[in-house]
Parts: sequence; C-alpha cells; structure tokens
Amino acid sequence: MSKDVLVVKDLNMHYETLSGDVSAVKNVSFTVKEGESFGLVGESGCGKTSVAMSLLQLQADNAKISSGSIKLDGIEMVGMSESELRKVRWDGISIVFQGAMNAWNPVVKVGEQIREAIREHYPNNTKIQNTEKIESLFKMVGLDSTIMDRFPHELSGGMKQRAVIALALSCDPKVVIADEPTTALDVVIQDQILKEIKKVQELLGLSLIYISHDIAVIAEMTDKMAVMYAGSIVEKGPTSEIFANPQHSYTKSLLASTPSVVGDKVKLNSLEGEPPSLIDQIEGCSFAPRCPNRNTTCHPELDMELVEVGPDHFVDICSASRN
Amino acid sequence: MEENINQDLQKELRREAIKRNWQLFKQSKLGMIGLYIVIFFLFLALLQPFLFITGIWNKGVYDPVVGYEPIKDTLLVVECPKEYPTEKYESYSDCPAKGEVNIKKLYMAPGVEVGDMYETFIQPAPPSRRHLLGTDSLGRDIFSQIMEGSQVAFILGLLSATLGVGISTILGTIAAFFGGRIDAYLMRQSDLILMLPSLPLLFIISAFAELKVWHLAVVLGVLGGLGGSVITIKSQALQVKVKPFVDSARITGGSNMKILFSHVLPNVAPLALLFMVFSVTGAIASESVLSFLGLLNIDMSWGIMIYLSQTDGFIFSGMRYWWLILPAGLAVTFLAGGFYLVGRGLDDVFNPRLRKR
Amino acid sequence: MAEYIIRRTFQMTIVFFLFLVFSYLLFNAIPGNAFSSLLLNPNLPPDAYQRVLEIYGLDKPLLERTQMYIVNFFKGDFGYSYKYFPKTPIELIAERLPRTLMLFSIVNIVAFYTGFFIGKVLAWRRGSKAETWITVTSVFSYTVFYPWFALMMLWVFGYKLGWLPIGKFLYPEKWYDAPFDSDVVFTSMIKFTVVVSLIQFAAYLASRGIESLSLRRNIRFVSLIAIFIGSYFYWNNGEALLQKPYASDIAYHMILPVMVVTVVAFAGTALLTRTTMMEVLKEDYILTARAKGISQKRIRDRHAARTALLPVVTSFIFTIVTIIDGSVLTEQIFSWPGMGQLLLQSVLEEDIPVAMATFSFVGVFALIAHLLADVSYSYLDPRIRIKSQG
Repeated sequence: MSKDVLVVKDLNMHYETLSGDVSAVKNVSFTVKEGESFGLVGESGCGKTSVAMSLLQLQADNAKISSGSIKLDGIEMVGMSESELRKVRWDGISIVFQGAMNAWNPVVKVGEQIREAIREHYPNNTKIQNTEKIESLFKMVGLDSTIMDRFPHELSGGMKQRAVIALALSCDPKVVIADEPTTALDVVIQDQILKEIKKVQELLGLSLIYISHDIAVIAEMTDKMAVMYAGSIVEKGPTSEIFANPQHSYTKSLLASTPSVVGDKVKLNSLEGEPPSLIDQIEGCSFAPRCPNRNTTCHPELDMELVEVGPDHFVDICSASRN
Repeated sequence: MEENINQDLQKELRREAIKRNWQLFKQSKLGMIGLYIVIFFLFLALLQPFLFITGIWNKGVYDPVVGYEPIKDTLLVVECPKEYPTEKYESYSDCPAKGEVNIKKLYMAPGVEVGDMYETFIQPAPPSRRHLLGTDSLGRDIFSQIMEGSQVAFILGLLSATLGVGISTILGTIAAFFGGRIDAYLMRQSDLILMLPSLPLLFIISAFAELKVWHLAVVLGVLGGLGGSVITIKSQALQVKVKPFVDSARITGGSNMKILFSHVLPNVAPLALLFMVFSVTGAIASESVLSFLGLLNIDMSWGIMIYLSQTDGFIFSGMRYWWLILPAGLAVTFLAGGFYLVGRGLDDVFNPRLRKR
Repeated sequence: MAEYIIRRTFQMTIVFFLFLVFSYLLFNAIPGNAFSSLLLNPNLPPDAYQRVLEIYGLDKPLLERTQMYIVNFFKGDFGYSYKYFPKTPIELIAERLPRTLMLFSIVNIVAFYTGFFIGKVLAWRRGSKAETWITVTSVFSYTVFYPWFALMMLWVFGYKLGWLPIGKFLYPEKWYDAPFDSDVVFTSMIKFTVVVSLIQFAAYLASRGIESLSLRRNIRFVSLIAIFIGSYFYWNNGEALLQKPYASDIAYHMILPVMVVTVVAFAGTALLTRTTMMEVLKEDYILTARAKGISQKRIRDRHAARTALLPVVTSFIFTIVTIIDGSVLTEQIFSWPGMGQLLLQSVLEEDIPVAMATFSFVGVFALIAHLLADVSYSYLDPRIRIKSQG
C-alpha cells in the first residue's frame, strides 16, 4: 500500500471582489497517493484552477484561503510563511500551467529559465551538473538539447509545452499538477503531450493531479478522479468505477455529453443553463436548477455532503440516487 | 426612422461608456487630486475677470500689470554695525531686522538720524488682508498676477496641446494606414524636427518674431505635433490597423477614408487624449522657461514673475521675500503636476493592463 | 539587419542634408548679422562694415552662400568663428564638449539607475502608503519648474548653507598658476570614468556565467572594492597625483548641478518604469516564476524588470538625444561653460559657422541615437527582429 503524498481536507477559498465574496472552492477534500494520478474534472469556472492555485498558494492577491488544510508528506502548508512556501514550490509541488505560450518569459532563454528553478532549489550544483540535468529532462520529454539556447518565441507550441513539462520535472517534485496542459494545442500534438505526461509519470513514479474539462482525457490519464461543480466536489472515486457507475446527475450529464469513438451513434445530450453565480450563498443542491432528473431521484433540500456509495466511491448526498 | 433609432442607441452607448470611464477614473486617487488641482487653477483664472467686472477689485489697484497701491509703513532708523555678531544681530543678513531700516540706505533723505521713525512706502509689501500674497517690487498685487498667469497657462497649454495632438494624430494615423512612401516621409520629417534643439530654435524664432501667447502656442503645437508624438501615435494606429474589425469593415466595402475616420481614429483617440494631457504639462513648462529667460513679449505670466524676482535679486534673498519666489514657482509646478496626474488617471482608464483587478 | 542599417543611413543622410539647409536659412533669417553692431560705432569709417562683410563672404546672395556652405561642409570645412576669429567651430566644440559630456553622462547614469530602481519598487509595492508618497514626490520632481528649482537649490546649498559653489566649473584663483589646462584635467577625468565603468562592466559580464547566486554576488562586490582600491592608487601616483587637487576642484563644482539635474531627471524614468512594470507583472510567466519558488526580489529584478526595461531604454536613449539641448538651461543657470552655452551664445550672436556646427553636431547625435534605439530594441527583445523596411 503506497502512502498518501498529498492530503487536502475541507479546503475553502474565496475571492474578495468589489461586488462581494466569491467562494471559488468549497469544502474540497481529496487524497493523492504516491505514484497515483488523480483527475479533477468540471466545467470552466467551477474552481478547478482555484484548487490548483491554492495547493501552491499562488492565488491572486484578493483570494483568501479561509479554512482547511493541505498536507504534503504530512507537513501542513496552509499558514506557511512565504519563504517556507518558496522551498515547497517546485520542489514539493510543481505545476504545468494551461497555455504554455505565456508560461515562458519571452526575453530569457528556455534553458536559463529551467536552470533558474534548479539553481533555486539545489544551490550547490555546478553549472555542468545543471546542464546535464536539463539535457536529461529534455531527452525524457523528447526534445533536442539544443533547445536550451533558444528563446521561447523560436519554439513551436508543442515544443514549448514539452519544455514546460521538463521545467515542471526539473526539481524532482513529489506532486505535479497539470492544469489543462493541452488547451491551445492541436489534436495531434495534444495526444502526443498526453502520452508524454503519462509516460513520464509512470517512469518517475510521480503523483499527478490532472485538471481538465474533458472527461475523456481524464478517463485516459487517471486512476482516481473527482468531479467538481460550483466550487465543490460532487463525486469522487476510482476513475473506472465512476465511468462504469456514475451516481451524481452532473457526472451522468458530463458522461452523456462526451462522444465515444467506438460503439453506436448516439445523440449527445447537452446541459441546459449555466453554473450558478458563486457570489450568492447556495442553499441545498447547487446543481438542482439544471438537473435533468430532479424531483425523481434526489433530495435537493439537503446540504452538500459526500456519502460513500461504493468502495472508495463518494457522492454528494443530495443528488445520490435513491437506492 | 431606423437611422434615428440607431443614432439614439449610439448616443446611449456613448453615454454609458463615458459614465463607466468616469467610474474608473474616480477610483484613481492621484488622478482625482490632479483634477482638483486643475479645477482650482481654472477657478483662479476665471475669478479674476469676475472680480474686475463686479468691481470688487479696483483695476487701478489690482491690475496685474499696471496696478499700484502705495503701502506706507513706519520704520525705526538704525545703523548696522561693521562687525558681527553683536548683541542684537547675529549676522550680516539680520540687519536691518523687521521694522527697521539702515541709515545708510536713507542718504537721499537728509536730516534723518538713528533712532528716528521713518515713514516709507514698502515695496515689495508682505501679504496683508488687502493683498493676500503681497505685492512685487513695483507695488503690483501678486495674487492677481498669479490669476493672470493661470489664464495664460490655460490658454497656452490647451491651445498648443490640442493643435499638437490634432496634427500628430492625423499624421500618425495616415502614416500607419497608408504606409510606404508617405510613412517614410512622415517619419523622416519627425526625425528632422527631433534633431532641432528646441530651446535654441525657440530663441531664433523669438528673434525674428515678437512672440505673444498665441504665437507661442502655435509654434509649440506645431513643433510638438510634427515631432516624436507622430511616431508613438503611428505605432498605436498600426496595432489598430491589424485588428479584425478593420478587416471586416474593408470586406463590407468601406472606403479607405471611412475606415480611417470611423474605425482607426476612434481607437487611437484615447491615446491621443492622453498625449494631449501630458503635452499640456510640457507647454506650460516651455512657456515658463521662455518667459524666465525673458524671450516672450507678454505682459504677465508665472515665468515672468520668476524672471522679475530673479533679475531684481530677490531669489537670493531667501525666504525673506517668499511671496515673490514661492507662489509663481509652485503654481507652475502644481498646474503642470495636476495635468500630469490627470493624464495618469486617464492612463489607468484606457490601459486595462494597468488596472488592479 | 545590415540592409536595414544601410537603408536607414541613406535616409538619414537625406534628412541631415535637409536639416543643414533648413538651419542655415533659419540662421540667416534672423534680422541683422554678427557684425551689425559695427554700424553703431561712429568712429569707424562707413565702408569698414562693408569690408568686414566682404571678408567673411556675407555680402554674397543667400542662395550662393548656402550652396557654398553645404559644399564646404561635406568637404569637412566648417569655416571660422566670427566671434573668436582664429578658432574654428571644431576647436570650440572640442573644448566645450567634454565639460558637458562629463556633467550630463554622470547625471543620466545616476538618474537612470535611481529612476529604474524606484520605478521597480513602486510597481512592486503597489497600493502601499509608500507607493503613494514616492509617486507624489516623483510627480513633483517631474513637473517642478526646473529653473526655479535650480535657483532655489543654488540658494540653499550655495548661499544659505554655503556648502557648495554657486556656479562655474572651477575656482579661477585656484587655477591661476596651475601647470595644466582645465581641459587636460577634464580629459583625464573622463578617461578615468570610462575605464572604471568598463572594468565594472567586464566584471559583471564575467561573473554572469557563475552558477551559484551568492558567489556571483560576492564576486561583484569584490570587484567593486577592487575598483575603489585601484582608483585610490591611481589618483595618488604619478601624473594623476599632480592633477588631483584640480580634478577634485572640478568634481566639487559638479556636485550641485549633478544633484539638481538628477532630482529632476530621475522621475521620468521612475514613472515610466512603474507603468511598464505593472503591465509586465500581470503576465503569466511571472506566475510561473513564483511557482518555481524564486525569491520575490529576483522575480522583480530578473523577470519583470528585464522585460519592462525595453520602453525605458528607448525613452532613455531619447533623453540622451536631448542632453545638449537640455544642457542649455542648466549651463545657463550654473554658468557651466559647456556646449549648451556655446550653442546659445552662437545663436544669440549670430555666429553662424559655430551655430551651424553645434546644430549639426546635435543633429548627428540625435540621428545616431535614434538608430541606436531601434537596434538596441532588437537586442533587448528577441521577439523583435527588425524588418528591412523604413
């Protein structure tokens, strides 16, 4: 049994804006084990990226973590000082941002930007050691080592994204967060990048948190997953279990709206309406207004709470099927 | 009919946009401070004619150029010692002290002795209730001069800035839009203007033409308008030119002129407005420098006030005659600074990348 | 790139030619001429004035003179000064230029670094009390009425406190029996400054390759100390020792103008840096850098400031263009006998050859600086590759 690397418990985070507080993350709890890949799926604006930012505590200045705990290898990260956090960042948790185009500083060479991260966390390395390290990283993600001396704008989108992965691995992190790493790439490159991430993750035995709005990618990439809606996790469990036996109406809708390449042609279902505004306090089930099968199977009046419905499979109580 | 509705809608939209921008501008604290400063000086500039028309101020006394009022004072005649320090005076500059006059200065008045009281006109007179900021060495009211100076500053600043920005916006947009030879010509023209050293150039111009406020405004406006700002406006217009809405206007058959005036110019306008506000700052400073060097043929301005206080030697008399030195210099500084702050506030409005959230 | 530079040079030559013609006509448009005052002298025979004009060629028609001047100019013959007759304009410039350059290069470097540093801090501390106050101060010194401010400073430091000299670039009585010309001392001061900055720059470049950050910092610090020790030895040995009292006299006279102009000049850079930095801080790669665990200071200096540097450098180069132009007022106030005063005097006295020479010097300076601005842009921002078009 591998140990828990990252334990997130009851995490709450809100943005203070001019028009009121926006709760972006509500009572989110999950655990990532060593060498496991964990998927986080949901619509745009459901708080996936906010979760990722809270893990690194890189949230915007107006965002506050109001309660909860984030434990990396048993060490509490909420409430750490900036200098302590700096040591954890990249060394403990690193991240592959969405949109690799903008992740690189345009006026600094790619190699130098990776070297900088290594230098920060391994200050005693020699120049040659660092160069070798970068070369091996590039090799791992399928890049030529000459790219080190190039400027970001000289690389193609796919190359930049591979280099971003190399950058994320540069300090041997325990957990890598991949935040929609394939948006803005064309489909062929997307597939290559996904394979690359999978390969690297298995090779290094990394814990991976994969964030995407694309449930098909999650199916391909992860061992365990959680579905987020309006800032809360509504269903979580082993990926295969959730795909085989979705409990929450929202999960079902998500699955129904994804085309399948194999099998018969079926009409895709799309969800009506939009996710609720996060400024308002939501009473009861947040999904109820859009739920296609409300009034039949669920208890929209109950406050959100996860209940276990199968082995390691949790679902929001108010939308759990009545059986 | 439909046109009317369309126009109304456009007006409505424009009003909405102005309202929103004003909300944004209000958030910039320094921008608001700048606006208050500018309004304050505008108030001063308008107050003076009002005071003259209503007769609250007598033109003979308060006119900034020819006004005069004798202010009498009685002074104790003393003899300054040859060596310092003495019991009464610590150093050379302490004698004569306040309310005293050195007997050596009264060689024109025979029969006066040490210990007498001597009645004299004091010029420059210190601030009093009648003259809020005192009078200058010719007995003219400083406060009235400040007001006159702010009229000059507003006329000159706004006129030259409008002219300059008008020229540079049109030329810059044309350069960006038509490119090629026209662009190359305009760019080299601004190189030529930038090559000329500005202060000596203004010297030469003032040598063969008596410069009045209007002339100076035109000269500054044209020089500013043909110079570096064309290059900046051009680069902005180039960014607008490649925007999709310009292409779509072209596809739907808009003529070059129509595209230029209804699509490109409105999008360059915010930057031009910004430039205008900043160039008011420059124009005010230029006027003051030229007046300060005695090159302008105008009656009164802040620059001339400082010029006079310097030529009369008051600037090295320190704070003793502060009302001759401080008001004019601070007025130039504050009005220029006020316009600059307004410009920065506008920058926050027009440049979304500078906003906080 | 090469093609671009050639093209620009060609265009610049044409612009320069037009500039020459324009300035020459402009100077001649001023009523009267350099010798008009001779007419006022009743003791001179009436034809004397005419003879002087003939000697200097001022009796010829304007177009012919313009043509002659331009032709001679491109042959490298700038004529003789009307006022300082046997001297040529080149000699006069050679005498005055070092004084202006010395003063204003120091001012500009100091102003650039302070301005850039303060701008960085302003952007970084956005929204704090300190930011507001520093901004207010910067705006004040950016818009302060310069001649007035300079005179006030002269009064405070030169007169009231008496710490610093009021104007002039040396005490004439001290130089009465000096074994050197002031220009010799000036030249050696400039040489010293250039060598020191080159050494410092070389040390900076050499240490860039060092991987450990703390070692890098230490080496730079040591090199700075080494330069101090080196300059101490330089000024206490050989010829430099003899020049030292005179050099220090000049340096003493330089303090006040440097201080005053810096206070006025730094603010522009500071405010511009603040704006561009704020734009850069919104970029995604700043977030990446933070995620990498890099220290705030390093993110500020290395990532944000480096990109924000671009427009600042451009504006800095444009400031350099206006050095001589801007020196007119400063040199007038501090009675510093440099290029600015020469420029102003020659214009006022209608000493056309000198005025033309100084004008074209300023012009060439400006043209080259503009080209430099464009080229440096492509160096600092690898995204920009200069296209070969005007």
